[in-house]
Amino acid sequence: MNRITRHPVLTPPADRREVRFSFDGDELGGYEGEALSSSLAAAGVAAFSYHLRDGSPQGIFCANGQCSQCSVVVDGLVKKACITPLAAGMDVRSLHGLPLLPGEDGAFAGSGKRRTRTDVLVIGGGPSGLSAAMELGKRGLSVVLADDKASLGGKLVLQTHKFFGSEADCYAGTRGLDIAKKLEAELRSMPKVRILANSPVVGLYKDKVAGIYSNYDSYELVEFGGLVVASGARERSVLFPGNGLPGVYGAGAFQTLVNRDLVKPASRVLIVGSGNVGLIAAYHALQAGIEVAGIVEILDKVNGYEVHADKIRRMGVPIHLSTGIVSAEGEGRVERATIAAVDRDFRPLLDTARTYEVDTVLVAAGLSPCDELYRQARAFGFPVVAAGDAEEIAEASSAMFGGRIAALALAKVLGQKVEVDAEWIGKREVLKSRPGDRITRDPVVPGPDWQPVFSCTEEIPCNPCATACPSSSIKLRPRRCNIMDLPYYEGSGCKGCAACVAACPGLAISLVRRIDEGWAEVLLPWEFLADFEAGKRFALLDKAGAFLEEAELLGKTFHKKRKTWVLSFKVSLANAARAAGIRVQAEAATACLPEPRFGYLPDDAILCRCERISVGEIRDYIGKNDIRDLNQLKSLRVAMGACGSKTCSVLLPQLFRSMGRDPKTLSPLSQRPLSMEVPMGDLVNEGKQI
Amino acid sequence: MNAYDVVIVGAGSVGVPLAFYCARRGLKVAVLEQEASWGRGQNRAAIGGLRATFSDPAKIAICKESLDIVSHFEESYGIDVEWRRGGYLYVAYDAEREEAFRKLLVLQKSMGLDVDWISPARVSELAPGINAKDLRGGTFSPGDGYASNLQVSSAFHRLAMEAGVDFRFGEAVASIASPHGHVESIRTNSGEYSASLFVNAAGATAADIAGLVDAEIPVHPDCHEAGVTEPVERFMEPMLVDIRSDSESGNYYFYQATTGQIVFCVTPKPQIWGLDKDATSAFLPLCLRRMLELYPRLRNLKVRRTWRGMYPMTPDGFPIVGYLREADNFLQAVGMCGQGFMIGPGLGKILAECIATGSGPSKPAGSTGYQFLFDQLTPYRKFEGMEMLK
Repeated sequence: MNRITRHPVLTPPADRREVRFSFDGDELGGYEGEALSSSLAAAGVAAFSYHLRDGSPQGIFCANGQCSQCSVVVDGLVKKACITPLAAGMDVRSLHGLPLLPGEDGAFAGSGKRRTRTDVLVIGGGPSGLSAAMELGKRGLSVVLADDKASLGGKLVLQTHKFFGSEADCYAGTRGLDIAKKLEAELRSMPKVRILANSPVVGLYKDKVAGIYSNYDSYELVEFGGLVVASGARERSVLFPGNGLPGVYGAGAFQTLVNRDLVKPASRVLIVGSGNVGLIAAYHALQAGIEVAGIVEILDKVNGYEVHADKIRRMGVPIHLSTGIVSAEGEGRVERATIAAVDRDFRPLLDTARTYEVDTVLVAAGLSPCDELYRQARAFGFPVVAAGDAEEIAEASSAMFGGRIAALALAKVLGQKVEVDAEWIGKREVLKSRPGDRITRDPVVPGPDWQPVFSCTEEIPCNPCATACPSSSIKLRPRRCNIMDLPYYEGSGCKGCAACVAACPGLAISLVRRIDEGWAEVLLPWEFLADFEAGKRFALLDKAGAFLEEAELLGKTFHKKRKTWVLSFKVSLANAARAAGIRVQAEAATACLPEPRFGYLPDDAILCRCERISVGEIRDYIGKNDIRDLNQLKSLRVAMGACGSKTCSVLLPQLFRSMGRDPKTLSPLSQRPLSMEVPMGDLVNEGKQI
Repeated sequence: MNAYDVVIVGAGSVGVPLAFYCARRGLKVAVLEQEASWGRGQNRAAIGGLRATFSDPAKIAICKESLDIVSHFEESYGIDVEWRRGGYLYVAYDAEREEAFRKLLVLQKSMGLDVDWISPARVSELAPGINAKDLRGGTFSPGDGYASNLQVSSAFHRLAMEAGVDFRFGEAVASIASPHGHVESIRTNSGEYSASLFVNAAGATAADIAGLVDAEIPVHPDCHEAGVTEPVERFMEPMLVDIRSDSESGNYYFYQATTGQIVFCVTPKPQIWGLDKDATSAFLPLCLRRMLELYPRLRNLKVRRTWRGMYPMTPDGFPIVGYLREADNFLQAVGMCGQGFMIGPGLGKILAECIATGSGPSKPAGSTGYQFLFDQLTPYRKFEGMEMLK
């Protein structure tokens, strides 16, 4: 089984019960209660079902309950594997064509209505939703917080890396999954806050009522005074031929498989997109023992933090700029992916194509807000605020502030006397800022005393090193006079404790000291398994990932607070201050095939995943019809599928733009309940004690 | 000024087929529509049922025509509109309903309709798994069926475009110039259109359009909600109609579309008047409870989406088709009472024929044999009673 049994940060739970189930007649094993999609992925199953329209294989795409690409037949009923907990003895089958409706004809067991009331309904229990609920709870308002996942924290629970930001305000230097636990514990202690985990909001209705699919088995109508929509963001899909193949999925799905469920679903991945999500996906892959063939970025510069990108490059992952994915191909699943440089209009230059043998393509081409319930609430005229990514895509650190600020704004609308602390707004603005300037640092000359070397040269909101230093010898040098400022060593006081090395989320601090005329000792962070001893030789790389020298390991120390190893190396004096990282993966992992191998059929890219409608079909329809209204595309069944146009609504504007049409001139797709399919029996709470 | 033979207000269930059939007869046609595309008023909210089993000559004649058009769409025009001749089945679970249906049958048969009483066993054959307890049978009309409202309206729009119809989307009618009891032109927010004949096919907003020539027509929309499920392999054939009421709702009906989804709808009680298109929390629990009582196996079927649309109602439940006294070249084709989708194609074809053969206030049916239709559906009838098979 493709399971992660050892991980540098995560510990596999000891109390999991292994159970057997069958998939298309084969007996497989998995852990009871985990997402069925993860059990299948761990068993090496890539194709879960076969599309009704053309029989093409379908695999995981979002692993987040949003799309329906992972649907399978479980004990006779069609279910999304990613929200179906595995149970012993499950009979799981792939779906071919239309499913049969089971002839369960026993008399209707009666319906029940559950209708409750709350001052505020918070939709989404990620960093912003949790913070908003807490703030509202503190003010004495009754709150219902509904989240579609079993554990609160949203995407925080998938983050094994240490967070940027400020330690004082938003737990910087702490790993996301630990932040989630802290926030949840605090919220659970509040008496007027009712938490509905595992309970997506599936409909918002004109009579100021939300329909909640409670625990995925019953339906509760919640009447509310006001709404906080903190439902996060979803990944944008990318249009390229082969984008519907099993093995092409979102970086978020990958994080779910790897970091939540400890499944190793891939052996080598190609990542599309160099935003922080894509960069972090590379880091998560390497931690899980998965090779990363490279990251492609269609723009001419890295989209995420420079310090993140450099860190990934130093681990041995190339980032190809001005490069796009041309195709993903394979029999029944991804077996190879081809990339090529792009021209100024982002069209691929096919003579530059290179093909990589990968089994997975991770899509990390940006996020779009899950703001449809917010827009609907606005249209209905409800008191509503959006928070977190549903308001504006930004880091979790700013989402925590944003949640509190949004909560106060809502409390004000609901008639409370509220003053929003101006400082909060300032902090939120800083935390959500895009990177600032890049600043050249003076080279460091190693001396006999320890001193830190900083490989961070781009202004981002981050200060854990300054907080971590026990002698306070690291200070942010005032330029903007906020945590965007870069850290500098004050020139004395460093004891070589390496607290800063272990704390830096960018793994961008080393400590150096001269040992003798020719050599220096260098301390570098290591967030991988450390099954090695002194004497082993490692390739050390400079800030941007260029090879410097093979160096001998002198020793290793585990910094428990940060769950980070600090490795000590003997490095030539000439390279010592430039040695910024340790190569993690071998160069062979990033080699392309000697000759490119691909077919280029851009019209084959799938735009509407639910109904499997290609770019070519839609382009053809647009060409033949006077399109003024996106709803016209429903004639092709675009946006008529299970997901409710969550994926295609983001891609359609892109397609229209590529055809020279301004998407703003088109009437938008209509948004209606339900946002997730729910069985009729559950909607009327058949036979349940309510 | 843009000059046409016929200017139609409304690109919906009625206006689009009518435009096509007029253009096919060589008339120069414009359609003025305030929405961004066709069928975005109530056609988008239709559920797709098509039947001729009514209790009056006009609707029977029109809908027979519609059935003929839609059921032959693929042969005639090469366009698949997802038609299926699944029949309509009105189920009876008590003596009172059985008696009413049987009484109506006599009338329906006398009008030549293909409809008959079927036994409970036959009901269960057509709809396996239907609640058999107290089931007494029902009236079944095998010639009726269903099609995709979306595909039908899109097909008519395409055909109308090919036939040269000038669609003006995003143009709301601002004023109608009718100085001497005769419409000269219609002005929209961006143009003015003249024609020898104007048609009001404005659906839920028909009364406002007629009001622009100071005519009062009794069309008042009320709101109905509907829903659709995920698709499954075919397990039932007919449109099932249960005309019983309970404290919260009137009749409800559902069928399995050609593409496998169950499409369902319930009549709220009391009626909700107005133009509100927003979904309410009451609909699903209410409608689904009744559906599951009737058809328990639906319990595992997942609901995908719900929506709301209007029935442009008239006081007696019958459409209004005819000329206005206030404007003698202003033909009304309005008040479809929630049946625009099934009436539209047939009515469009019939009206186009009447128009082409000299329709006017003195001789609305032209040289056709459809005078009975105008006599029955005239705007100046008494609007007494209520359509029995609404």
